[in-house]
Amino acid sequence: MSYRHLWAVTRKEIQHIFRDRATFILVLITPTVVLLLMTYTLAVNIGHIPLAVLDYDQSPTSRAFIQRITAGEDLDLHARVDSIAEIEDLLILGQVKAAVIISPKFGRDLLSLRGIDLQVIIDGTEPESGGFAVEHIGWRAEAFANEILADQFQMRGIPLESLQPIDLRVQAWFNPGLKPIIDLVPGLISIVLGFPALTVALSLAREHEHSTMEQLLVSPIKRTDLLLGKIIPYILVGLLNVMLIPIFAILWFKVPFHGNFLIFIALSAIFLFAELSMGMVIGVFMKSQSAALAMSFLVVMFPGFFLTGIFFPIASMPEIARMESLFLPGTHYAIITRGVFLTGIGLETLWPNAVMLLIIGTAFILVASLFFKKRLA
Amino acid sequence: MTELDMIKITELTRNFKDKTALNQITLSILEGELFGLVGPDGAGKTTLLRILAGLLHITAGKVVAAGYDLNKEPEEIKPHIGYMAQEFSLYEKLSVMENLMFFADLYDVDVKNQEDRIHRLLSFAGLTEFKNRRAAHLSGGMQKKLALASTLLHKPPLLLLDEPTTGVDPISRREFWNILTDLHLNGTTIVVSTPYMDEADRCSRVGLMYQGELVICDTPVNIRRLLDGDLIKITTSDWQAAQAVLSPLAGVKEIQTYGEALHILVDSGKKRLPQLTRALKKHNLTVSEARTASPRMEEAFISLINKMESRE
Repeated sequence: MSYRHLWAVTRKEIQHIFRDRATFILVLITPTVVLLLMTYTLAVNIGHIPLAVLDYDQSPTSRAFIQRITAGEDLDLHARVDSIAEIEDLLILGQVKAAVIISPKFGRDLLSLRGIDLQVIIDGTEPESGGFAVEHIGWRAEAFANEILADQFQMRGIPLESLQPIDLRVQAWFNPGLKPIIDLVPGLISIVLGFPALTVALSLAREHEHSTMEQLLVSPIKRTDLLLGKIIPYILVGLLNVMLIPIFAILWFKVPFHGNFLIFIALSAIFLFAELSMGMVIGVFMKSQSAALAMSFLVVMFPGFFLTGIFFPIASMPEIARMESLFLPGTHYAIITRGVFLTGIGLETLWPNAVMLLIIGTAFILVASLFFKKRLA
Repeated sequence: MTELDMIKITELTRNFKDKTALNQITLSILEGELFGLVGPDGAGKTTLLRILAGLLHITAGKVVAAGYDLNKEPEEIKPHIGYMAQEFSLYEKLSVMENLMFFADLYDVDVKNQEDRIHRLLSFAGLTEFKNRRAAHLSGGMQKKLALASTLLHKPPLLLLDEPTTGVDPISRREFWNILTDLHLNGTTIVVSTPYMDEADRCSRVGLMYQGELVICDTPVNIRRLLDGDLIKITTSDWQAAQAVLSPLAGVKEIQTYGEALHILVDSGKKRLPQLTRALKKHNLTVSEARTASPRMEEAFISLINKMESRE
């Protein structure tokens, strides 16, 4: 390992990033712009999910509850039904995406401060809207139950202050505004930070296309120095994004940030290392920029959408897809961003994801340097 | 291997999938030689240079360059050679100076003398006043000189240049060769491939490659001597008709076409020139130029390649 060689490559690459307009836009502008675009298109599309309700209780409490869960823009009451069979028909016809079944003891249980049972059936063929419905019904139910509890406390003369701490915690945890954006943005960050990985793949392919690679291969530089020297600058600009995007998310989309910013930056650096090593593997195999671009979309961007649990719950995936998602840096980073932003959890909970990212990154960089030969053809 | 051998190639073969790019090449190049590689496109010149630079695997045979066995030590040779690829291979977004600094770092040029070395090379290559210009904005000739300068930073004893002057204007080409001659006189061993025969003429020895084989390897003077006889240059109104008229005549060995002109190899120029012009006039072909000339490398090589082609 030669620090002089490493620094020479890093310095050269940074000069390139800031002088080549296309590269500059791709690594420093695109992530924020894509985050903005995706947030708006995706956030608007989810909502107005048609619901069926089967109310076995038929009490004032259950009726108030039904009104409460369908009061917002997110869930619409499509039909009140009398049997499970009706629900099945409506789901098959696609007229509703989810159904809520309220048990006969719903009102009684709630008023007597016991736990409540709520059954939600979703259309498994559309897990995104189903999952959305489950999540939102859950939030509403929790909020509703809290209000009833507060009333009961008051009626029984228990001072409300004793409820306050519980209330505050619940508010923070469960996205009180019920805005899907808040849940979406942290996950999207892990997708848009795929762009630096794509650029690192392109930067290796570009050296092949411009035959500057030939000049590098004929020099005495070690291949690991070359690959690391290529990755480091993109980790640095990736970190610029990591600073820029949360500011955007917090100020523009009003996403709360409950975690520790320094821990977030540190975990982001580890994620970038894993993601960029993956880009490096692509760059090692693809000798032209167009091939590298296509391959990056195939193995970085698309799985980022579909397999990292940002839109579709990993639990509902087939086993093989679940396995694959384990090896995608985005899966772990989505957990990290959501956790740090929305719940404020730190390393005590996220360390397994951090370790996994380190393992993935090291594995990819090893594969890259194993297959990167200091030879032509 | 004697001590004076900079390169010793023994029965070198290199295959690409089903194609043989180099076939059983044996060649020794002495220390301090300016060795020219010529031959048509696809003859294997680039492959040979890349093997010498440690960039390609050797299929069979043995290559020792600058004291390193390239079968075993392709990485070890790299600090001791300067290699210039055929296409422009420097960073366009970097300035002249930044490119040189980059390669100075890669070749571990002594930091204390680095600046002095770069400035000397800049003036040597005539690039001092352009040192802050981006490489992309240099002329073709200047780009080639910059590429050459960047291969010289670490004072390599062996220089491998792959068609360094292709696509460069004649004045830059001459400047470039003046630099090479300087290096040659200072004792650097240079192997250069070129499509230009006037450049081959400036080499101490020339190897002609054809379809992966080294057809001939000798000094320019000896190669020119391979053509026994004289050369007659004739320009007429219709070169195709003229070629048909002249080729069956006695004493005509070979006719090469150069655009409108014909270069005719004959046993004796003095004797045949009047005969040829007379024959053309008889066929109503107007002759605008007809004279004898001494054969150059170019005719010698085309003659050799024609012989190779007709052999198949």
